[in-house]
Amino acid sequence: MIEQLLSLFKALLAQTGLQHFGWGNLLMIAVGITMIFLAVIKKYEPFLLIGIGFACVVVNVPGSDLVLPGGLFFIAQQGVAALIVPPLIFLGVGAMTDFGPMIANPKLVLLGAGAHLGIFVALILAKFIGFSLSEAGAIGIIGGADGPMAIFVTMKLAPHLLPQVSVAAYSYMALMPLIQPPVMRLLTTSKERKMSMAQLRPVSRLEKILFPLIIAGVVNLFFPPVAPLITMLMLGNILREVLIVGRLAETAGGTLLNIITLVLTAAIGSTMVADSFLTLKTLEIVALGLVAFVFGTGSGVLTAKLMNLFLKDKINPLIGSAGIASVPIAARVSHNVAHKANPKNYLIYHAMGPNLAGVFGTAISGGILLALLGTK
Amino acid sequence: MTSIPDTIGGAVAISIIDFILSFVIISGIGLILTALPLVNRRWKINEAKLRSGH
Repeated sequence: MIEQLLSLFKALLAQTGLQHFGWGNLLMIAVGITMIFLAVIKKYEPFLLIGIGFACVVVNVPGSDLVLPGGLFFIAQQGVAALIVPPLIFLGVGAMTDFGPMIANPKLVLLGAGAHLGIFVALILAKFIGFSLSEAGAIGIIGGADGPMAIFVTMKLAPHLLPQVSVAAYSYMALMPLIQPPVMRLLTTSKERKMSMAQLRPVSRLEKILFPLIIAGVVNLFFPPVAPLITMLMLGNILREVLIVGRLAETAGGTLLNIITLVLTAAIGSTMVADSFLTLKTLEIVALGLVAFVFGTGSGVLTAKLMNLFLKDKINPLIGSAGIASVPIAARVSHNVAHKANPKNYLIYHAMGPNLAGVFGTAISGGILLALLGTK
Repeated sequence: MTSIPDTIGGAVAISIIDFILSFVIISGIGLILTALPLVNRRWKINEAKLRSGH
């Protein structure tokens, strides 16, 4: 009788995932819990980290079949892999974004290019340590600090690296308040950090309506590889700016974006399975992603300082780091560092200019990369 | 189709071309934005009318 009970319990145990619990599972569960801690307690990008962290915890519990074909997370991953999710994210972002700061001060768009040196430093280093050129391109684009663009380019260049690239991109975006300030302080003097900037000119409604039309035309003409993302960004933006389709703009930038964010974060977190994620390659990609962010931050600040040599109305160099995209996190970081140096300084609106330009900078860099590597 | 070799030299070449071209193209966008305020001299939109729309 007892033997029968014991064998019954053994059979039940075999049904569970307890037998397959290894140190890798524990480590990834700890990573997921850390992400949730950072989101809830430290308030680092909760909209991203809670979903990613939760999915990471769940998929590393042995026995979970949510990532198997037909599973909930598997379906979410398909939405990302089929490049449906990134353009919809951009539709929502466009509907929420005021491009006025970028339109008001056109010279700041140069910072959207200058802050992308990190992409190419990471690309060259990745090639140096043994990745193929396509893989290096996918890794480098982490430095653009643009999640949807990173996913888009990676799916075109090296789809097998999507888990590592997307996790690195989104994690570092959420950790920008930790990564950027030390680099910004290292490259600027106290006097520079305290610099205030003149108020920007008002931008008319007509300019704001024409802007998405012009940019959509330019991108489709010159950058077909990345046209889906920027076109959706501009569609969302024109819905916002015409003022007569408020319902559509609110849906795109509200409910739809929230739904897509849930799907995206679940998809990304669910790719962090211990067996495939805990490899040397992952560590290399994560390290290269950090290098990309650090160099991008630095090059943005230095580009602003270089511009100041020629400008009559100087730029606070701290806003240069906002050119790294990741709207509005990088702009917020620039503002916070400047505000800490000078409590009378409110640079958020100025920092949004290069921050928004960074989105186009990443798109342009990614589009040229795809074109040079012969990918459509 | 690509003529960029899958080498470190190729990575450096692609990086230099991409970085420089990015500056050129984003400067072009900057020039368009610089010219954009000219439209205000010719046309103006009545925001109140737009907001009272659908």
